[in-house]
Amino acid sequence: MIRTLRAFFLARLLREKILLVALAVILAGLWASSLSGRALHFWGERKHTQAALAQQAHWLNSRLRVQAAAQQAASGFDPAKTLDSTRLLAAIGAVANDAGLKNYTSGESQDVSNGQFSVHALQFSVSKVEWGALKAFYYGLQAHSPYIGIEQCAVARDRANTTLLDVSMKISSVEILHGP
Amino acid sequence: MCASPLEFLRAGPPPPRVALLPDALFFSRTVPVLAEAAPAEGAEPPPSVASQVELALEALAPFPLAQLYYGSYWREGAASAVVFAAYRRRFTAEQTALWAGSELVVPTFAVLLGAEVAAATSLLLTLPESLTLVHWADGAMPTGLWVHPFAPEATEEERAQVRQTLLRAVESRQIIDLTEPPAPLPRRHDSEMVFRSGAVTFRLPAGVLAQLDIRDKAELAQLRRAQKRDVLLWRVATVCVLAMAALILGEVALFGGGLWLTARRTLLTARTPLVEQIIAAQEVANRINDLSTRRLLPIEMVQAVANPKVLPNSVRFLRATTDGLYTLQVEAETAQAGDIGVYKNNLDSMPSCASVTIKNPRMQDNKSTFNLVVVFKPGGLKPSAPPPAAPSS
Repeated sequence: MIRTLRAFFLARLLREKILLVALAVILAGLWASSLSGRALHFWGERKHTQAALAQQAHWLNSRLRVQAAAQQAASGFDPAKTLDSTRLLAAIGAVANDAGLKNYTSGESQDVSNGQFSVHALQFSVSKVEWGALKAFYYGLQAHSPYIGIEQCAVARDRANTTLLDVSMKISSVEILHGP
Repeated sequence: MCASPLEFLRAGPPPPRVALLPDALFFSRTVPVLAEAAPAEGAEPPPSVASQVELALEALAPFPLAQLYYGSYWREGAASAVVFAAYRRRFTAEQTALWAGSELVVPTFAVLLGAEVAAATSLLLTLPESLTLVHWADGAMPTGLWVHPFAPEATEEERAQVRQTLLRAVESRQIIDLTEPPAPLPRRHDSEMVFRSGAVTFRLPAGVLAQLDIRDKAELAQLRRAQKRDVLLWRVATVCVLAMAALILGEVALFGGGLWLTARRTLLTARTPLVEQIIAAQEVANRINDLSTRRLLPIEMVQAVANPKVLPNSVRFLRATTDGLYTLQVEAETAQAGDIGVYKNNLDSMPSCASVTIKNPRMQDNKSTFNLVVVFKPGGLKPSAPPPAAPSS
């Protein structure tokens, strides 16, 4: 068959041979270019998917370890003393009042749960507070540790009265939904 | 071409175009040649066989070489060559025009020279216009070549008499009679051209074909170059076709890979909710762990960096923000820019500090503002105890 095609090709006029070869070269080139582009895209997608699957496998393999870590971490808590979002808000309000804070506000609670445990976090802000009152509030919160903790804190000098401070805190609490 | 591509492919390649010229138009001789062996040291190398053939023809022919169509038959290692030539004017322009596109132009007897026969064999080709006898004495190279032309009105008796006369001139153990000119067979490869007449096969190697062709040698060289170019074009086309076959395999592999990837993505999607639950559980575990074991100490951090022992009097804090458990970012200002470096050095010397970085120092209205990033060592700061409650009155 190859000899037949070869004889057919060689019997063509020179311009026909050149045209056939040029067509074959262009077609092969375009096709190769297209295929290589798609192959590269596929390879990238494959790599990405494999990496994501490996990451998932890692997490799936860590499932028992994660649960054990949560149990271990929660073992130091007395379930009766843990606070849900409402009790957290009440406790913060009580501490703020004890410290003599007045201009304070709190945001909506953001909750994360794994079914057994929940962590509630809310943003607490107070403006125009003296350093002493702030420390009193801080120590009041620390008295509730580890059931209440500060995750983030920002202290700024008040613009109107430089002797006073504007404070923003992210305060969180743990709630044990079912006894470990 | 045949009616359908399949039939065309099944039909196989056509035989090569060969122009077989009447034997009677050529004169032929067997001439001795020196083989092209490596010359002895210091000796003059022998001229090529082609040159020797041309020299012999110049000596034999009554016309200069430029007015001849000539060729030769010589096998590697042979001590003689068969040369043949024809006066160019014996061929009309119309006849030579028919040679265009032919792969080989030779007198008919030139094909007979390629027969593989035993020693003392004579081969007779009887055609209406001539009788050709080729004789091999030793079986390797033909030792005799005779052509007798017949007039159109020659009788069978005359033809038989000529045949007998020619055969008497040689001593033959075997006589092969052919009554039809050799016809080229489709080429299976480029290394030889094969002809057949009756039951006899004639094989002419590519090297011999180049010698046999009687056309003008410069024209032949041009033809060979064109053939090489055409073969190169064919090879390029073949490579392209092979590349396309490989591309088809690539497409199939890519299609299979796409199916595989779809299956993997489906698995990925199916696992995602469970994995997200585990990640959330991990986050909960981390935060519970942080709450129970690692406490953020923002007031202690501020007190540490604002300690009068390390804080120059000119430096005033504008803002302090925690970043993680052990980093405090402070924005401060001072009326004395030199105090920034002093302050950094003081902080560096604190045992609880892991690192101190000054960022974005800038000056405006005689005040220098800068950002300070202080990273404390884990456990470097201890929770400070609340001051004792004032005694109630």
